[in-house]
Amino acid sequence: MKRFNFILTIVLLLLPITSVQAVEPLAVVVNKANPVDKMTRSELIDLFMGKYVAFPDDNKALPVELKGEHDIKVHFYQKLVGMPLSRVNAYWSRLRFTGRKRVAILQANEAELIDYIIANEQAIGYVPKSLITEDLKVVYILNE
Amino acid sequence: MNKSGLVIRLAIVIIFTAIIVGLITTQIFYRFTFLNEQARGEQSINQLYNTVSPTASIASYLGDKELAEEVINGLISNDIVTSAAIETDVMMVKSDNYFKSPDTLEFVLFSPFQKERRVGVLFVKANKIFISAKADKISGTNTFVVAIEAFIITVISILVTYYVITRPILSIGKALHSISPGTKQRIKKPTSHQESEIGQLADDVNDLLVKAEQQMLREKSLRSEVQVLESRFRMLFENATSAIVLVEPQGDILLYNETFEMLIEKLQLPLKKNYGNFLQDLFVMKKELHEQIKIAFANDESATSELELISSSEEKMWVQVVVTQLITDDFQENYQITLHDISKRKQQILLLDQKANYDSLTNLLNRQATEQRLKQLMATKVPFALIIMDLNDFKPINDIFGHDAGDEILIHVASQLLKNLRKADLLSRWGGDEFIIILPDAKKEEVINVCVKLASTLSKPHNLSQHNKSVFVTASMGASFYPDDQVELLELIRVADKAMYQVKKEKSANKELYLAFASDMNKPENNSQSS
Repeated sequence: MKRFNFILTIVLLLLPITSVQAVEPLAVVVNKANPVDKMTRSELIDLFMGKYVAFPDDNKALPVELKGEHDIKVHFYQKLVGMPLSRVNAYWSRLRFTGRKRVAILQANEAELIDYIIANEQAIGYVPKSLITEDLKVVYILNE
Repeated sequence: MNKSGLVIRLAIVIIFTAIIVGLITTQIFYRFTFLNEQARGEQSINQLYNTVSPTASIASYLGDKELAEEVINGLISNDIVTSAAIETDVMMVKSDNYFKSPDTLEFVLFSPFQKERRVGVLFVKANKIFISAKADKISGTNTFVVAIEAFIITVISILVTYYVITRPILSIGKALHSISPGTKQRIKKPTSHQESEIGQLADDVNDLLVKAEQQMLREKSLRSEVQVLESRFRMLFENATSAIVLVEPQGDILLYNETFEMLIEKLQLPLKKNYGNFLQDLFVMKKELHEQIKIAFANDESATSELELISSSEEKMWVQVVVTQLITDDFQENYQITLHDISKRKQQILLLDQKANYDSLTNLLNRQATEQRLKQLMATKVPFALIIMDLNDFKPINDIFGHDAGDEILIHVASQLLKNLRKADLLSRWGGDEFIIILPDAKKEEVINVCVKLASTLSKPHNLSQHNKSVFVTASMGASFYPDDQVELLELIRVADKAMYQVKKEKSANKELYLAFASDMNKPENNSQSS
């Protein structure tokens, strides 16, 4: 119960920030060289939730994520699977017992994340729409 | 114990009812329990599904066999699950004994992230045997409880019924059985039923017994009264000096008294059941009896008649007969006939009649009676011949031998005359030595014939018993005819007398002459006849 209250407090504290952030849509981006131009929401879920580790064209995929409980990360999962990050983490924890391992690359901030995608052809990640550069290819806009 | 007795019957009914109700109850309860358990089993499986569905969804979504197996193993570790399986597009994970059958429960699994995305199906088979075994166990216990309950209720019912209802009723019944109505005996009210319906029953029975006793006492006194009355009537009837007979219209005798029996005995007749209508066979003059009855009944009176009884003995018996019509309570016509013996009175009357009408010496009709008879004959217009006879030479016999000899001659003459007359003829002593003979319906020739016979009979000598002397008498006779000569009695006698004196007068001249007819008196010549 205490824990629940704690989470509730955090959520309430974060709520004005997320709502500010929510105004700005998130974009799912890949390396410019990646042949995939567009992806569906299901394909994105399958990729980020560990069902598949490859793009629809069967090329290996490397999801790139922000470390910890970054606002953008929370926002992303909320938008993609409708779950708070804690539940997503719980999901991964459960899977860990069956020997399934997360194959995501973790980056400390948005800049590093963008750099990694630009440097890595197999990478896929999410950034606020405002941070999109010419070097990135947008395959999905999250926030409709 | 009586097999059809109240207690046994009641016990049988209660036991059977208990068994049947128990059986039905347990059956219904078993069905109910079974269905309940089945429903509960399904509910449990649903709950199990709810428990495992997130994991199963993840396993299906990822196509993770290990995770799926974990779910399956978890499911089949439950008693109510026999086997389970998870099927997705890419894999099929199932427990060892799983096979698809119609009773398999299906749960569709959706993606944990997209609720509309179908990722697989979870199959679960419920453990029917376990469920029914569980139902059996529950209902088995229940049946046992119901049976015990039924047994206890049955025993209590029987005991209560026996002690509260049956035994008191039986005791009343037994008491009633041994009581004879009309006595002082009463039924004892059961102590535990002073106020109940059974107590009421005992009270009512006692009331009835009281009434029966009163009724019987009343009847008893009435009966003794009737007996006294009956014995008096019997005495009256049996000791009556008159014979009393009750007959039916056809003459069947219903009742008779001792006097009647004695009368029949006296008549030397057999005692029969029927002597004809109104006992007519007993009487000489049946016609008169019936006539009297007819007249009397027409006037609504009792018929009374004096009648002679038929009798083989010489003594004549006369009775006064009274016939009364009786209508019985059931509208049957009967006749009461009383026969009162009047023989003695009749005899006395007869004797008086004899004295008044007959000559004491010759026992012939005297003059007075003869006149009466003649008047009767004339009243009925019967023609007859009248002969007046006078003895000749009677006076000398009287004078010589005395009056006794004269009387003897008169008796002798009378008997001789009677010998030569018919039954219908009349012989009378007219007075002294004069006799009158009446011959009904006689013609002149007959008169002559009779007179010839009489004359010749008289002419025979008679031996006087006291004098040892033979004498004979002759007679002079005059005859007249009714109604040819005279219609008046005195005239008729006078003319006959005249004819007779004519004979007497001429006797000195003609010794053989003894008869003259009055009709010949007017003719001086040929006025006599000789034989």
